[in-house]
Amino acid sequence: MPRRAKTPEAGTPAPLGSFGRYAGPATLIMSSLAGGAKHGYALTKDVESMAGVRLAPGTLYEALARLEGQGFIEALTSEDRRRPYRLTAAGVAALRVHLDAQRLVADEGLRRLDAGWAST
Amino acid sequence: MIASGATSARRARRLVGWYPRSWRARYGDEFCALLECELDEHPRSLRRAVNIAWSGTLARASAAGLAGMPDEGARQVRASLAWLAASLAAFLAVGLTVWSQLVVGWQWTSPSTPGTTLGIVVMSVAALVLAVLGACAVVPIVVAVVVQMVRGRAHRVVVPAAVVSLATTVLVVGARRFENGWPGTGGHHWAQQGLVPGGVAAFLWAATLAISSYWAHPGALSSFPGPEIAWMVVSPIAMGALTIGSTMTLRHVELSAKLARYELRLGQLAAVAMTAFLLGAIAWLSDSSPRPRSVPSDLFHVGAIDVVAAVVMALALVSAYQAVSRGISATTRRLA
Repeated sequence: MPRRAKTPEAGTPAPLGSFGRYAGPATLIMSSLAGGAKHGYALTKDVESMAGVRLAPGTLYEALARLEGQGFIEALTSEDRRRPYRLTAAGVAALRVHLDAQRLVADEGLRRLDAGWAST
Repeated sequence: MIASGATSARRARRLVGWYPRSWRARYGDEFCALLECELDEHPRSLRRAVNIAWSGTLARASAAGLAGMPDEGARQVRASLAWLAASLAAFLAVGLTVWSQLVVGWQWTSPSTPGTTLGIVVMSVAALVLAVLGACAVVPIVVAVVVQMVRGRAHRVVVPAAVVSLATTVLVVGARRFENGWPGTGGHHWAQQGLVPGGVAAFLWAATLAISSYWAHPGALSSFPGPEIAWMVVSPIAMGALTIGSTMTLRHVELSAKLARYELRLGQLAAVAMTAFLLGAIAWLSDSSPRPRSVPSDLFHVGAIDVVAAVVMALALVSAYQAVSRGISATTRRLA
């Protein structure tokens, strides 16, 4: 496995897989935002109920900043300090590609488990 | 235990302080709001405190161009150039200290062993290359700062540029004043027989006089003339001011995409020259050939401070490569 993701061409957003150790949190955040715009605390609670993972505040905002920098999410205007985020069109496309790839791996892994380990 | 609203707000503001100003300007309010909710729900959490401290430190490194994704175009390039300048300053401060003392020694007698001879020659060539590259890099930056001033958009570069000018003046005037303070630094009639002109060697010896093992020997230091000790205190302050002023200027100067790429290419070449300089120093440090009795052994003697200097140079070199690499990655993406 390469140590560092190859730098994408100019103007093209990096795929979610190139987020390194933030790929997991980024996937959880985008999956949560797929259900509608949310601010930081609502995201934390939604991810916790959806995946059983509590994102630490620093990790959450590091991932949010990277996703925003890549144009996968955007901040909405808000009247209070809690600023909601929503997916952009590029974010929807990137999340779909990423989840499809994960589903392929999950399906294949389950198929092999069923075939080889059914009797154990 | 439930934290009160005021307590949570105060603790949240304190935690946000781990992050750099630029990050706080963008995310500070909403991050505070999140932390207040978190603190109300779980008042005490070591994991959360460590996570915020680590993320804040990473954000500071990112703001300095050292970490994070290189996707912020011109800002990332300027941060990388600033970090490169700081790395180069650290490298040169210790590298020129060692080199100037070696070439001063060469004025008295040339080295008698091949390792030391080769090492000093390589260091000298690399120093010359670095000087040329430095001149090629500084002139366009100075022009860019002046243009920015003329256009009335220089409010963020005026102070750092003034600090650079003042610190440079202090270093040049001070080093000129003290360069012949010791006969071995060029004030003798053999000054032109060394590897480099005696004046150059003496000037750099005086400019880096403060980086010395004499600080560890107060008895010997007390025999120095008062003005020289004062200079050993003032000169590192001037060097620090020069470094900070240069990095701040680079952080705020407006660079065209073409100029930024040019500066980064020079940075790549400088990193190569720094590598050669360090290899030259290692050749000298590792030279264990026996020296003839006719040559004074202390002229090219290796001390513990020289080994420390080599370690500092190695760290600065790694840092310089990292800065250049991140800057070039940024220019290939969204240089605005």
